[in-house]
Amino acid sequence: MSALTLLARKEAGELVLSPRGLGWLLAVSVALSSFGLLLVGSKELSLLDNAQVVYDMLGIATALGALLAVASGVDAIAGERERGSLLPLLLAPLSRNALLLGKMGGQVAAWAMMLAIALPYLWSVGSTGQNLLGGSMALLLLGTPVVAGFGLLAMGLGTRLGSARATLMLCAIVLLVSASPLILDPSLRRSAIGVAFDAVNPFSAALNAYDSVVIDGQGALAQGWHALVAALWFSATAAFAASGIRGLRR
Amino acid sequence: MTLLVVKNLRLCCNGTLILHDVSLTVGEGEIVGLLGPNGAGKTTTILAALGLFEPVAGSIRTLGHDPQIHGAALRRQIGVLPDPNGFYDWMTAPSYLAFFAGLYGCTLDDASITHRLEAVGLTPAAGQSIGTFSRGMRQRLGLARALIADPKLLVLDEPTSGLDPRGRRDIHDLLSSLAKSGVGILLCTHLLDDVERLCARACFIVGGRTVAEGRIADLLRAGAGQARFRLELSGPVPVTAKLPVNARIIVEDYATVTVDVDPAVHPDIAWRELLDLGWPITTIAHESGGLEQVYLDVVTTSIAPETMAISPIGRAV
Repeated sequence: MSALTLLARKEAGELVLSPRGLGWLLAVSVALSSFGLLLVGSKELSLLDNAQVVYDMLGIATALGALLAVASGVDAIAGERERGSLLPLLLAPLSRNALLLGKMGGQVAAWAMMLAIALPYLWSVGSTGQNLLGGSMALLLLGTPVVAGFGLLAMGLGTRLGSARATLMLCAIVLLVSASPLILDPSLRRSAIGVAFDAVNPFSAALNAYDSVVIDGQGALAQGWHALVAALWFSATAAFAASGIRGLRR
Repeated sequence: MTLLVVKNLRLCCNGTLILHDVSLTVGEGEIVGLLGPNGAGKTTTILAALGLFEPVAGSIRTLGHDPQIHGAALRRQIGVLPDPNGFYDWMTAPSYLAFFAGLYGCTLDDASITHRLEAVGLTPAAGQSIGTFSRGMRQRLGLARALIADPKLLVLDEPTSGLDPRGRRDIHDLLSSLAKSGVGILLCTHLLDDVERLCARACFIVGGRTVAEGRIADLLRAGAGQARFRLELSGPVPVTAKLPVNARIIVEDYATVTVDVDPAVHPDIAWRELLDLGWPITTIAHESGGLEQVYLDVVTTSIAPETMAISPIGRAV
């Protein structure tokens, strides 16, 4: 097994086997359960259109996935640095690219776990309509680069900031601002600032793609601009993380 | 064969000059102590030797190659116990060693892992998660990790800190046997007893410069410890007696006094003065101050040469 695969497996194992990782997964499950119950159990919300419910659930799953990726990314570099376990890795015969890709194994595992947890909830709220498959495809195609980008941002910031807490705080602020379209009134999103922000915000790109696919019935593969924004976000954060990891000294 | 050669190393970190002029060598089968006060640049020197820092000037040859160019390949042949030394608390010791063995490109079967755990005295804790380990057990596991790929060169930063006396002796025995088998060891420590017991040579770094390097025996001979004497007395030291300016009491018992004499002065002059002052001296025995004395003298001289006294420890009379 290559060093890269070993590291990726270790990162994934940390998410599933360590108390910290299990805690995050439990928190995500509780959040999804609460939201699912609200959508199904609340008298007003249960009257929502099936497509709207699926759209809402996709947004929540993406936000929670990004949060999980941030937690995993912070822990992968800044957390390990604070605990002193990063230096033995830097001193191992491992290229910096392998270190980055191996650490991304944690992000992939986090997102895969998130998808595995979210799909039953999506099914439970959307199985009565025709939007489940398209929505799931959009989540996979558009959600993945957006979520992975947040994990890479956390890793990149972790290489530059001294503390895990500072990295987590900064990433949480970026995530909160990016995911604000989830809670903003639609009229605000239609204002000039809202439109401009939506055009460049990767989280908005994912949400708008979900909207087009689930509510407007477009194909998941026909989301050119949204896919471009998400891909640019992923590339920029990957370059940011790669340069940070190349510059790591201890 | 010389495994590590650092020559006139000059290194900047974040725009600050950390190392001004560091030189040291580690040969095959040799244990070399790397000594110096906190912040002297010992860890930076180690990390530069492993290719993590790029020198501004000077040269580093690790196993005959430039670590900046062949970093990853060289690190495969070097075992390192860094400081800080963290672990994955959710793993067990065998799974942790298997993970690092994989990173170093070697496949270890269960028997090899058990053998390595046995070598550092961790067999009884093999089933426990690392999170339950004491500091000493973590040190042992770190040492087992450093030895995972049968390295030619070992770089150890404080390997015996946190170990009980028995554990320290076990590690001393292990390092001695590794050196006998040809492994070169660079031992960075503040425990001078470790250096005296294990090392053939030592290198002192102060303020980012190598200020002394050589065989321990030579350093002890050349150091201020040469001028330490143990005097046996037939009675107590006269209370009113003044001490000559070129001597200083280090330890005083009823019938024995350890005295440091200024190396610039011939001791006989001091003894004559002491006898004239009424000291009831019966025997004078030369006593080395040990590596601690050498260390203190080297560090004090290097930091502030003009304020160098005979010895910074002890009580002036």
